[in-house]
Amino acid sequence: MNELNKLYSDVIKTHNETPFHFEKVEGASTILKANNPICGDRFELYIGYHDDKISLLHFFGYGCAVSKASTSVLAKSLEGKSLSDALTICKDFIAFIRGEKQVSQEDFKAFSGVHDFPERYECATLAWAEMKTFLEAKLKSQNQNEVT
Amino acid sequence: MALSIKNIKSLFPIFTHRPDLVYLDNASTSQKPQSVIRTVNDFYERENASVHRGLYELSTEATRKYEGVRKKVSQLLDTDNPLSIAFTKGTTESINLVAQGFVRKQLSPGDNIVISSMEHHANLIPWQQVCKQTGAFLKIIPITAQGELRLKEIESIVDSRTKLVAITHISNVLGTINPISEIIALAHKKQVPVMVDAAQSAGHHPISVKEWDADFVAFSAHKMFGPMGTGVLCSKPEFWPQIDPLLFGGGAIKNVTFEKTDFQDYPYKLEAGTAHVPGVIGLGAAVDFIQSLDLQEASNHTHDLCIYFKQKLLSLGTAELLGSPTNFGSIASFQMEKIHPHDVASFLAQANIAVRAGHHCAQPLLESMGVPATVRVSLAIYNTREDVDKTIEALMSLKKFWLR
Repeated sequence: MNELNKLYSDVIKTHNETPFHFEKVEGASTILKANNPICGDRFELYIGYHDDKISLLHFFGYGCAVSKASTSVLAKSLEGKSLSDALTICKDFIAFIRGEKQVSQEDFKAFSGVHDFPERYECATLAWAEMKTFLEAKLKSQNQNEVT
Repeated sequence: MALSIKNIKSLFPIFTHRPDLVYLDNASTSQKPQSVIRTVNDFYERENASVHRGLYELSTEATRKYEGVRKKVSQLLDTDNPLSIAFTKGTTESINLVAQGFVRKQLSPGDNIVISSMEHHANLIPWQQVCKQTGAFLKIIPITAQGELRLKEIESIVDSRTKLVAITHISNVLGTINPISEIIALAHKKQVPVMVDAAQSAGHHPISVKEWDADFVAFSAHKMFGPMGTGVLCSKPEFWPQIDPLLFGGGAIKNVTFEKTDFQDYPYKLEAGTAHVPGVIGLGAAVDFIQSLDLQEASNHTHDLCIYFKQKLLSLGTAELLGSPTNFGSIASFQMEKIHPHDVASFLAQANIAVRAGHHCAQPLLESMGVPATVRVSLAIYNTREDVDKTIEALMSLKKFWLR
């Protein structure tokens, strides 16, 4: 049971029970879908921008405690950040989950228990991976627009 | 004399190596008895040769054993002709063979194929794809909230443009046992052939292809104590000439010139390339193992155990079963109040209890029942009341762990 207590740290349990910005938002600039077809987890991320910053980040949906808590931490960590900073944070979180990088954020460290449960990597990175892909595409198209 | 169900666990080496394992994911794959493992091992150690090829003793012996399995399987399925049995790599390949090699050439735009809403993706996607390729469409037999087919609707759903009905014998999510004979009789009244997905029933429940009058039956060896990567397509003789191979190559031929190839007859024309001989011979050993049991007794044992599990689960007061079919096998899907199925499965895994969580390759079924995912418990002959008790105990501590 010790390992399980590590997996479901208090931070994860708390984020699961009272997730950050867990509500649908009408009229968000972007609605990003993070789905895991294998387990049926489905989240929608509602994103708004202001001056190249993520000014609003809410989410809603259904998923296990790990995927829900990690999406909650995502919303909390990325709101207010510039697109490029947000991308760096996404990369850091995913690398951390894969055991490739250390992190300093306490909220991130709460997911270290996932290292012992490789079958749960997907849960921890579900929304983060979608967000990373989305940000990369968005930054790329912005750069192209600047060039042309 | 039939083997005693009571001591059967000892015949499965995995439980010797992992005495604490409570394995309740039998609908995914069953564990293998020593006899099957030894047969596969012995083949590679003592008998390895390709079949239908060499003129030496080893190859002759391998061929004899390989061909002998057709007879064993035909006895298990209660069908007259061993040549009805074609070896494939599993249920999925068998269904794809019928979809692409038999049904596709008969389909025109506006034709239809009938399946049910409780099908595993393996008995859904092959039909969906062949419809996409031909302009035909799928018609779905709906189910009740209890998780049973709406039988009365079949008569109007199967129409003059239906080319095939494909239906599961036992639902891999709900455990529902479908009345196959009745469905086949309804379809045959309209001259429509029926394919039965027996992945969850073969080797666990008595089956009679003859009594069913089924046209095609598919199953996998690995779900009935046999090796992975081997399966069966059983077809009625009248369809043999009409089933085209999907794989072309060595074996499976009568005569080859640069201009054309004459293929062998069914089932050999479907078995091009080097066969998975140890898999097939291992399947034979699995059938021997099953025949050494009283299959009705085995089926009663897992069914009783499933009832026991369902009762205990409901008495927790925090679990809800998905569906409540009257006629069910040894599979139960459920949800725990406020706790996601994955978190339930992870918790149980810590207590050495293996269950499945998710949509169990039946996403449309779960969606139609308004459920994103479930925990699934599926039982086999080696499971005991003790296994169920341990699981219920773990679910009780789960409640304490999560609901702070």
